[in-house]
Parts: sequence; structure tokens; C-alpha cells
Amino acid sequence: MKRVAVLLATIALVGADDAGAATVDLNRTHVATRIGHDFTFTSTIRNTSDQPLSGLVAHLNVLSSDPGTYVDPEDWSAHRTRYLSTVPPHGTTAISWQVKAVNTGSITIYVAVLPRQGSDSVDVSQPLRLEVQERRTLNSGGVVPLVLGFPALVAALSVGTRLRRRRRTMGG
Amino acid sequence: MTERRGSWLVVAEQELRDLWLAGRGLPLTLAFTLVLSVMTYLTATNTALNFLEQRESVNLTLQVAVAVGALLVLLGSADALSGERERGTLESLLLSPASRLDLVAGKALAALSIWLVAVLAAVPYVWFLGHGVGLVAVAVAGGLVVGTLLAVFLMGLGLVVSALSGSNRLSLSVCLFVLLALFAPTQLPGGAGQGWVGELIQRGDPMSSGLHYLGKLVVDAHSTGQDIAWLLAPVVAAAVGILATVAAARFLTLRGGTLS
Repeated sequence: MKRVAVLLATIALVGADDAGAATVDLNRTHVATRIGHDFTFTSTIRNTSDQPLSGLVAHLNVLSSDPGTYVDPEDWSAHRTRYLSTVPPHGTTAISWQVKAVNTGSITIYVAVLPRQGSDSVDVSQPLRLEVQERRTLNSGGVVPLVLGFPALVAALSVGTRLRRRRRTMGG
Repeated sequence: MTERRGSWLVVAEQELRDLWLAGRGLPLTLAFTLVLSVMTYLTATNTALNFLEQRESVNLTLQVAVAVGALLVLLGSADALSGERERGTLESLLLSPASRLDLVAGKALAALSIWLVAVLAAVPYVWFLGHGVGLVAVAVAGGLVVGTLLAVFLMGLGLVVSALSGSNRLSLSVCLFVLLALFAPTQLPGGAGQGWVGELIQRGDPMSSGLHYLGKLVVDAHSTGQDIAWLLAPVVAAAVGILATVAAARFLTLRGGTLS
């Protein structure tokens, strides 16, 4: 009987998937920043099981809480996917994420951890809420004097030089 | 030695006067500013521009400035010797006390002046697009370094082809073809540059590697030393350009026609 129990326990351990065996925590839950600024945060993946966890992938996701604001996560971070090394039983692994605030408004970031293969469930962190304030970086109203004025100045210089030269040639 | 230095300065002065007071210098600059004006207007009036796209627009403007500026230098140098030959004025130049090297050096300086004026003309546009994100100094300095290396290379290429060409048309055609070939790798899709062959082509092509370096500097806000290896090809190309300028003086003959 005892042997059967050991056998069943072994089968249960071997057959156990990684779903629910990991938790993901972020060291920050709120960030207030301005557009164009960089910030970092850390996610900690904890193995809550008695077995080592291997073949995990952590992925950073970015979305806007404001309808109508398009967010391209690629702009926010160049390295959004990390392939994790084996996490020992009850051990942790920390990943630092560097992010650039590219859009204004209310933005949410979260980290998902999932196995590279199989149909096991995905472990997700709590959301990191961002408030990104606008920073006026381009005064488009002032563009017309530049785009019209500068070529006009060069044109006037060109015409003036030619007229002066012609006058000099005719005079000489 | 003093006489020789004086000769190339006299040639350069005359060439600069011909180019900027009577020649195509200012009309070419006008065309250059019109291109940059259209691009800047379209970028600046795009209200959906986000922060990163603004850096990209500075980079785009800068890359166009470098590419068009380099093209103008190539046009100037490709016409320099074969043009004189075609207009029948090369003979009197060759009979002057100036050595062939002095003649070519003076023309090289005049061709390079087109690039220097182009980079000055690009500054207001880069300032307008980049001052809000603190990019102006980095962008202008990076553009000046990369563009000057490429301009020196293209100047040498244009002069040697011009010295060897039997006609001005041939000289311009060969130079434009080479320029297009050099720009081709910059148009490769992102994935094509990822294998070792793709990276080799990108790193070996002075245009691609120079513009790649600029992109890293401006868009990704990398430090000047972080991607310095990408400047190797432009530096080597500039050295080749100087050697080609010397070779152009050696190959310069009244009739030309080695390339025909």
C-alpha cells in the first residue's frame, strides 16, 4: 500500500504542470512621470512549488486605459520578452525592466509569465499604473515661417548674387 | 613648397567663387532647403506624433540631409574635371603653373564646401524638430561627423571617375549608379540585415553603417562611443576618398577617356 502511495505521489509530481507554481510581483504599483522619461521597475518570479521551474518566459505588456489612445508596446521597451533560467524550488528570480514613457495619459503595464510550450495557464503580475503627463515638445504653429522663410532667404541670396554679378559684368 | 600651397589655395578660391557666386551652389542649396522644408512641415503638423516618433523625425530629417548633401558633393566632384574637359577649359587649367594635384585639391575643397553649406542649412530644421527633446547638439554633431566622412569619400570617388571619364555624362552616370548601389543596403527590410551576410553588408557599406550609427545616436539615445564600430566603414571610406583624390590628379589628362 505504501509503495502504491509513493508511486501515485511520484506520478502526481512528474505530471504536475507549472501552472500556478509561480507568482509574479512588481516592486512598484504606481508611477507618475512625463513623456519621454525613462523609468525602471523589477518583477520577481517566485517558484511556489517543490520542483524546479524551467522553460519559463516573462513578457512585458503595455496598454492604454484611455479608449482611443493607440499604444505600440515596441516603442516603450526594446526588450519585452525574457527567457528565464531555471527557478529552484521556493526560489525567486528578478528581472529589471527599463521602460520609456512614449504616450501620455493613463497607461497600464503588467508582466506575464508562461511556459515556452504546452497549454498551461499564464501567471500574471498585478498592474503597474502609470500617469504620464504631457510635455510640449513641438510647436507646430511656428513651422510655417521656417519652411517658407528659409528657402525664400536662400532664393533671395541666389537671385541677389546673380544680379550683382550681372551688373558688375555689364558695368565692367 | 610655399608656392605649391599657394597654388591650391588660388585654385580653391577661384572654384569657390565660381560655385557660390556664379555657379550652381546656391540653386542646389535652395533645392536642398525645399526638400527639408516639405519634410519638416509634414512632420511638425502631424498631431499624432508621439515622443519616440519625434526623435525618429529628427533622425529622418538628418538622414535625408546627409544623403542629399552627399549626393550634391558627388554631383559637384563628378562634374569637376570632366566638365572642364567638355567645356574646353581644362587645357588652359593644365597649362597654368599649378600642379595637377593642386588643381584637384582646389576642386575637392570646392566640392566639400557644398556639404558644409548643406549641413549649415539643415541646422534650423533639426533645431525646430529636436529642441523640445534636447536632441539638437547630438544630432548636428553626429550628422556633421558622419556626413563629412561620407562627403570626403564621395568627393574622391567623383573626382577619380571624372578624371577617367571621356565625357561628363558618363562621369555623372557612373557616380550616380555607384551612389545608388551604396544606398541600396539602407533599404533592406529589417530582417534581411540579421544574418551574418546581412550584417557584413550593412557594416561594410559606408552609407548603411554611417546612417545606422546616426540612428542609434538620435533615436535610441545611445552614447557616442556605444556604437563606434559602425563608424569603421565611413572612416575607411573617407581614407579611400583622400587616396582617390590623389589618384585623380595622377590620372588627369587632357582627353581622359579611360572610362568610355
